[in-house]
Amino acid sequence: MKPLRIALTKGRLEKKTIELFEELGYNCDEVHNKGRKLIMTVGDGEFEVVLAKAADVITYVEHGVCDLGVVGKDTILENGSSFYELLDLGFGKCRFALAGKKNVDFYHGYGSKTVATKYPNVTRKFFESKNMDVQVIKIEGSVELAPLVGLSDGIVDIVETGSTLKANHLEVKEYVTDISARLIANTASLKLRKKEIEELVSKMEAVTLNDNNSNS
Amino acid sequence: MNYNLKITPEGTKDYLFKECTAVNYVSKKIEKVFINHQFHQVITPGLEFYDLFSSESSGISQESMFKTSDNSNRIVVVRPDSTLPISRMVSTRLQNEVFPVRLFYNQPVYRNNPGLTGRPNEILQLGVELIGSVGKRADIEVVTTAVESLAAVSDDFRLEIGHSMVFNALSDELDATQSQKELIKTYIENKNISALNDCLDKLEQNQTVSAIRKLPSLFGGEEVFSKAEEFIKSPKALEAIDYLKLLYQMLLTLNLGDKLSLDLGLVQRNEYYSGIVFSGYILGYGDAVLSGGRYDKIFDNTDMPMGAAGFAININHIAEKARYKSRSNIPEVLVFAKSDDSIMQAVEYTYKLVKEGIKAQFSDLSDEKEAREFAKKLGIKKIEVI
Repeated sequence: MKPLRIALTKGRLEKKTIELFEELGYNCDEVHNKGRKLIMTVGDGEFEVVLAKAADVITYVEHGVCDLGVVGKDTILENGSSFYELLDLGFGKCRFALAGKKNVDFYHGYGSKTVATKYPNVTRKFFESKNMDVQVIKIEGSVELAPLVGLSDGIVDIVETGSTLKANHLEVKEYVTDISARLIANTASLKLRKKEIEELVSKMEAVTLNDNNSNS
Repeated sequence: MNYNLKITPEGTKDYLFKECTAVNYVSKKIEKVFINHQFHQVITPGLEFYDLFSSESSGISQESMFKTSDNSNRIVVVRPDSTLPISRMVSTRLQNEVFPVRLFYNQPVYRNNPGLTGRPNEILQLGVELIGSVGKRADIEVVTTAVESLAAVSDDFRLEIGHSMVFNALSDELDATQSQKELIKTYIENKNISALNDCLDKLEQNQTVSAIRKLPSLFGGEEVFSKAEEFIKSPKALEAIDYLKLLYQMLLTLNLGDKLSLDLGLVQRNEYYSGIVFSGYILGYGDAVLSGGRYDKIFDNTDMPMGAAGFAININHIAEKARYKSRSNIPEVLVFAKSDDSIMQAVEYTYKLVKEGIKAQFSDLSDEKEAREFAKKLGIKKIEVI
């Protein structure tokens, strides 16, 4: 049987997912000693793991060249369209928030607002849901700079601890949505390889539920 | 330098030699199944009025249509789908026809997909429409045609069936706002179980809510029915499930084995479908290649309300796979006329060889050396000089 191929978002989500695999008893030595390898075997060959940038995880899964993927909800909201979202893995938690200068009411006045963000789709949707017309400017690097230098009235970005905001005299005005890592599946793969995928999902579900309970 | 002269628009491509052979091979095989089932071909225009597709229930978003305008400045679109044009044609031009009618088409549809995703914007599509009948006989005819069509072009495929009334009945009974219902539908469509649960947790808990909670996981083999009956109590939804069960058992007699599966969470284009829905998958491709179902509703607003069911197969990917199997198209013999006087003799000789079943080609080069060089380069084994 062909191994199930899983695309992991490089970095922290990759580390967390591999920890999860090890907790489930799968051998992940090849991932730890990956060297320059791009495709690694996990377990006794049941799984193949590939590492990719967040948005690419979605692309690989959508095209069906990877059966499953682990990716943040932020990336899904910004880029996602046609795949199944099977499980909230519970790690990689943070929030999307609208932030602006301290002690300035973002919504004050009639003038249309300008918002800088790395996530234009999320931002547009958020303000559409408020029936607000805003100018969205896409920024690639540190968005916190934009309101400071006067490019925008506010920013929409991922907030974890809020310390970057604080250091720059910005504050959260409103939370947009919660974010965490998700397990996604290609639509055809879930249909063609239902048994294997469901087995993995229920194992992961059991572990993540346990973890969440022990944390709280 | 105008670079547009050198490339094709994104999502389109040229089909060369073996690719063409493969496209023709695959479409002929499927057409044969359609013809054997007594479906008759129709061709609709490449351009249609935008109005035909503008209602939300068409399931085709404004953004995904290529638009232009006609000489009266009305918006026209490059055909994004063949079913709605055929429903237009049937309800206007076939009013006096003996119903039910069986129609098939083999014509591309065009969708303006977001850029750089690798999806084709020109989708080579074949499909059937069985118009003017309802009930299990019509549904069985459409589903078996779909199964045969997939079997004709793929060794390993799956056909998955569901019923749009399962979700619709539950959704009608659900005490929630329209926008909540929309969200719930999207979550079921994407099998986004965590978001679905979050959304349902906010509602008053009752039987309908717990039934909807289970919908995304109700897919697989026959065991789906017993699981569904455990959670779903809505009489209307159960009626749809019973009907699906009947259909499924009838289809099992075709010895489809594990090729047939069920998904009660199939809710795609639900304003459009009014009965069974089904999708076909082939191994090695990440998206459905076939989709169809019963869509009686599209005739509701016409002069002739009636039942209709059908499906469409996208063959771009199937043809790509078939390309590697298709036969070589290099001629076996090159016929060269050694002088202008023997041209007609050589032409006749080529014709004779072709009639005998040999792939022969008349050489249009006038120099023998050039002709031999040409044969060598192309890999033509034999050259005959007349």
